Amino acid sequence: MTPAAAPPAAPPAAPPLAPSSAIALEKVEKRYPDGTLANSGVSFAVAAGETHALVGENGAGKSTVMKMLYGLERPTAGILRVHGRPVDFRHPGDAIAAGIGLVAQHLNLVASLTVAENVVLGHEPRRPGGRLDRVAAAARVRELVEQSGLAVDPTATVASLPVGVRQRVEILKVLHRGARILLLDEPTAVLTPPETATLFATLRQLAAAGRTVLVITHKLDEVKALAGGVTVLCQGRVTGSARMAELDEGALSHLMVGRELSPPAPRRVAGARPAPRIVARGLGYVDDDGAIRLRDVGFDVAPGEILGIAGVEGNGQDVLARLLSGAAIPSAGDARLDGRVFTGLSPRAARALGVAVVTEDRLHDGAAPTLSILDNLLATRYAHPPLSRRGLIDRRTARRWAQAVIDGFGVRAAGPYQPMGALSGGNMQKLILAREIADAPAFLVASQPTRGVDIAAAAALHTRLAALRDQGAAILLISADLDELLALSDRIGVLYRGRIVARFEAGAVDAQTLGLHMTGLGPRRERGDHDAVA
Amino acid sequence: MTPSREGARIALAVGAALALGFAIMACVSDQPWAALRALLTGPLPSIERAVDGRVVVHRLVRFGAWLQDATTLTLVGLAIAIPFRARQFSLGADGQLFMGALAAAVVSLGVGDVPAAIALPLAFLAAAAAGAAWGLVAGLLKTRFEANEIVTTLMLNVVAVQVYRLVVGRVLNDPTAGFITTPPLPDAATLAPLIARTTVTAMVLVAPAAVAAALFLLRRTTLGYEIDLAGANPWFAVRAGVPVARATVLAFALGGAFAGLAGFHVSNALLKRLPIDLTPGIGLEGIVVALLARGRVGALPLAALGYAYLRVGAQAMERATDVPREVVLVIQALIILFVVSDRLAPLALGLARRTGARVRARIGGRAA
Repeated sequence: MTPAAAPPAAPPAAPPLAPSSAIALEKVEKRYPDGTLANSGVSFAVAAGETHALVGENGAGKSTVMKMLYGLERPTAGILRVHGRPVDFRHPGDAIAAGIGLVAQHLNLVASLTVAENVVLGHEPRRPGGRLDRVAAAARVRELVEQSGLAVDPTATVASLPVGVRQRVEILKVLHRGARILLLDEPTAVLTPPETATLFATLRQLAAAGRTVLVITHKLDEVKALAGGVTVLCQGRVTGSARMAELDEGALSHLMVGRELSPPAPRRVAGARPAPRIVARGLGYVDDDGAIRLRDVGFDVAPGEILGIAGVEGNGQDVLARLLSGAAIPSAGDARLDGRVFTGLSPRAARALGVAVVTEDRLHDGAAPTLSILDNLLATRYAHPPLSRRGLIDRRTARRWAQAVIDGFGVRAAGPYQPMGALSGGNMQKLILAREIADAPAFLVASQPTRGVDIAAAAALHTRLAALRDQGAAILLISADLDELLALSDRIGVLYRGRIVARFEAGAVDAQTLGLHMTGLGPRRERGDHDAVA
Repeated sequence: MTPSREGARIALAVGAALALGFAIMACVSDQPWAALRALLTGPLPSIERAVDGRVVVHRLVRFGAWLQDATTLTLVGLAIAIPFRARQFSLGADGQLFMGALAAAVVSLGVGDVPAAIALPLAFLAAAAAGAAWGLVAGLLKTRFEANEIVTTLMLNVVAVQVYRLVVGRVLNDPTAGFITTPPLPDAATLAPLIARTTVTAMVLVAPAAVAAALFLLRRTTLGYEIDLAGANPWFAVRAGVPVARATVLAFALGGAFAGLAGFHVSNALLKRLPIDLTPGIGLEGIVVALLARGRVGALPLAALGYAYLRVGAQAMERATDVPREVVLVIQALIILFVVSDRLAPLALGLARRTGARVRARIGGRAA
């Protein structure tokens, strides 16, 4: 099937359902009580032993399909089949009994328990008297580890494990419950490139052992690397279904987005570099437990320049972003904007000096999900004209502005009064960026600005960042997505264990090299002199 | 939830609680129907045409009691609901009310012989300021020292009540009164009743005005927005540059100001002097009112009217029948339990719909 033959409005006829299908959906519809139609006429099948990718933009209804297959939601019409039998899951227990396991996007582990305890939680081997049999639990997990090839120490405490290993624990948990069908919702969103490679190897091995895998992803290369078949959802409907063997990446991209993506914004032409606008020197941070989270970090950012910060999560990026936006006080060093120190004050003071921030975790400290779009947009601008005068908020002006933002940024929303939490990640992120750049900041700290965001929304966000740069703002782009860093940055620094261990001109480095430095394996490239690349 | 659905939900909850309450009444009383009647019609005046043709209105006292109780409850409801917008569980309305009442009495007795146009506003403002100050203390303890506001407000209630007793007993005591109380407040500082034979004063209009003022403040001002944002997601609010601590403290103070006005209502409108044994507890009823209004400031007057109706009706039932006070309290508590049980009504409505459908299907089947 060619992408051109699949316009979004006309879903293709239901594919013939092979009797060997592990999962089959037949004209499944899900309408939520509030009237939202999340899925409509969704039909596709996954053969036993196949790894199948479910792709589509945010809000396309992928997660709803997963939820129905795992008994978290019930379809309002249509039939779900598992191994050919129609099923009606009322809660996850039914789905687990039918051999289905879900590895959720947000991992559900008890951090203070060991790996073995987490894996058996809910289905524990017991000793007489109902107490947990720790020896049997550890043995069981060791057995699972050997069978699956997932390298995990069963006796380790989950809190001590990096996120990639935690995900393996989650997969082990699912296998322990006897799952033959694995559902994974954006499993790579939290992983580094090496961890992703390990996960893919595991998934291939599981598929080879006859297990069926259904995986949600945003990323083309992951579909390419992993899946035997792909189903594309758009606005709750299936707009394409194909065997991977029949597609090249361009066709797949077209199938996923429905149109050609605009090429990434061209990098600023490097002429004579203007004087730096942001000068950070010797930034350090020691947390409450006495651990050194950031050590002697220094950099310059010129107006109209994007400095990328690469690094495996937890190597100090979050701390750096907090220091630069005033949310944490540096233990050493400072950063200046046009010569004025803006660190060590407060978020409010930093903002008053022209600093804006896109926080890493939008639901935690980037937005108020229960409040309206309007109230979320107001948060950084409510205190000044034209949105308020003498302590009174001008609701009419605010509403007009919010509507203009919704239209101008292509946000899919019912209107300014819709709760922020009802939006998809991509739409939420567009609004957050819109808010942060509304006052034309001199310096923007953007942490993971496109995490968990679909391709089209990510492209739109990249365009906005490039436009802000072209207006003369200095931008610090902190991202785990190396493609994003390489496409947008003028220069890239690598954070490893709280230090900048390598600096590159963006044109002179590839993802492989960055990856080596991110894991501390690269040859030391920091020249000790912060101005070396500035 | 839409207002109509919300109305249906509350009606269902109250109906269910009354039905259960009636069952209890039937167990303990020889005259359950009379008791129910007293409960439901107690607060209403009865209008009769007398033998000589004049229209006579009876039981105005209870009607007045209903309105003045609703006034107090609305104001203390505000004292709970406003901090709750900042997600602060203040239980301090009692202390704030006592401080407000005390300040109003002190000012009323202290200003000397001045016209009402001066004495009344001064006492009014003193009460609001005292309540706000008492709320401010809880807010500062929370934001400066991270002291749990539930504990601090309860403790501040104890302090306020004892300070009140100390001042009334030792400083303002009127030795001629025969019981421990302040002297009567001067007429210029007190409010005259709007309805004869009742204690319904202009305060009955102040309460809705206070709600309107609070609504304006919360919806239209930058401070109201800051309070909302601090309550909805304090981490986000801080990152966005909102002065979260200031907004939180001011939410406590604002709530306290309204509780202080409730104190003014008690001292300068209802009692017109302050006895040492003024009973604490009405402030805690503010929690019930705020719960019934589900934290929505605009719904407070309605919730207060409904709850006050129940309280006055219960008193009527207690006086007119053999139903003991304990049962009355049980029924009040049941109503609150039913109203705040979010999922009860949808469950019941769903059940009713399914049963209805089944019945219709059966009837339809027979017809076919």
